[in-house]
Amino acid sequence: MSTSTGQRLAGHGLAVVLPARWEGRLYRRTVGAVAPLATGRAMPNAAGRTATNATGWAGEVSHPILHLANFALPAVRGDYGTGAVERMAPEHIFVALLEFGPDCLGTALYAPAGLPRLQAGQFNPNGLQRRVAGQAGFQHFFTEANRPFCLYVVIGSHQQAVPLTRQVNQILDRIEVGR
Amino acid sequence: MTALVVIETVILAVLCVLVAGLLRGYAAVLRRLHELDGGALPATADAPPPFRTAPAVVEPAQRIEGRDEWAEAHDIEGITLRGEIASVRTVGVEHDTVLAFLSSSCEGCAGFWHELAEDWGVPDGSRLVVVARGSEQESPSVLSQLCPPQVDLVMSSQAWTDYAVPGSPYLVVTDGRTGRVKGEGSGSSFSQVGGLIRQSIEDGKHPALARKPDADRRRERDIDRILLGAGIGPNDPSLYGPSEEEHR
Repeated sequence: MSTSTGQRLAGHGLAVVLPARWEGRLYRRTVGAVAPLATGRAMPNAAGRTATNATGWAGEVSHPILHLANFALPAVRGDYGTGAVERMAPEHIFVALLEFGPDCLGTALYAPAGLPRLQAGQFNPNGLQRRVAGQAGFQHFFTEANRPFCLYVVIGSHQQAVPLTRQVNQILDRIEVGR
Repeated sequence: MTALVVIETVILAVLCVLVAGLLRGYAAVLRRLHELDGGALPATADAPPPFRTAPAVVEPAQRIEGRDEWAEAHDIEGITLRGEIASVRTVGVEHDTVLAFLSSSCEGCAGFWHELAEDWGVPDGSRLVVVARGSEQESPSVLSQLCPPQVDLVMSSQAWTDYAVPGSPYLVVTDGRTGRVKGEGSGSSFSQVGGLIRQSIEDGKHPALARKPDADRRRERDIDRILLGAGIGPNDPSLYGPSEEEHR
């Protein structure tokens, strides 16, 4: 893998072929237990921190989350990009695709069918999880392949919404959702 | 009156022919200059014109292609300690990337892990990624103890192969714009090698280097190498034409 294009990220029933400059992370948040790669008990690391990624509450079931960005994603990020969006320059884009539980299927919120394609006018500074100067966001709930999802997109500059939306749609074209 | 109109028309026609001839000659000159500049080739905008020697100068046997002094950089795919399937770009990006190939079991890595825990400051404009081998050869639980959560660690045996890592600890600095490795080596800690990393990164951002197009720098490097290969070093007399006195 020596080129900067064509990297394929796949897992948890989701896949995307990344264009040049884009990178991604695909994961399921670990809940009620330590991370799958850890030993099974939380241990302090060299920094004195606890080496567990457990979040959420006991019994919670986590679902796949896909993060895509045309900038360097930091190691620690919230599901909706907290920790990453603060680093965005005006030309940057952050895309989060979050799956929800099957109990959401058939509800009015998730009634729209299919991964949407966006228009520049749909981005709004008030559509951000937390407002960051210059940025604009978009959130949409939908069902694809009988799986309920939330799409959350942040663009680095509301003023450049037109060209950035074009890039957003190009990356959305590359996302595959399996059944 | 009719005669005057006819004469004017003839003069106008002659002038038109003259102007067309001048434009044609000008176009031929431009085309020729474009060819001399290598523009006639279907080259990319970044590609330098082909290397040619002057008439009567033997062309060197060594090919210009194959610039192995700067190895190709590779994007990284692997798994993070959080279980994320990760893709990390090192090629075609604006920033440099410091890749620290570390292992949980190597004694020489202790200094690096210790400084990571103490928040070692990566040089401005660059990104630090710790690369460990895949979970088939590495202990994720021990790595979780060693690596602070805010540090990006990707487990990827493929990356070790791609970068031909001879052993750990090993550091590689990649240039995101050129997609090339700009420095690599080993050491005992980040602070020991940090100066070299910073120098490498700062050099790349220095205006004296940044203003010169990549194609020009590559061409200069190629010509220097060929001259040195032919035994012609700096200030070699053959590099200079005969002096005016010799002419006389």
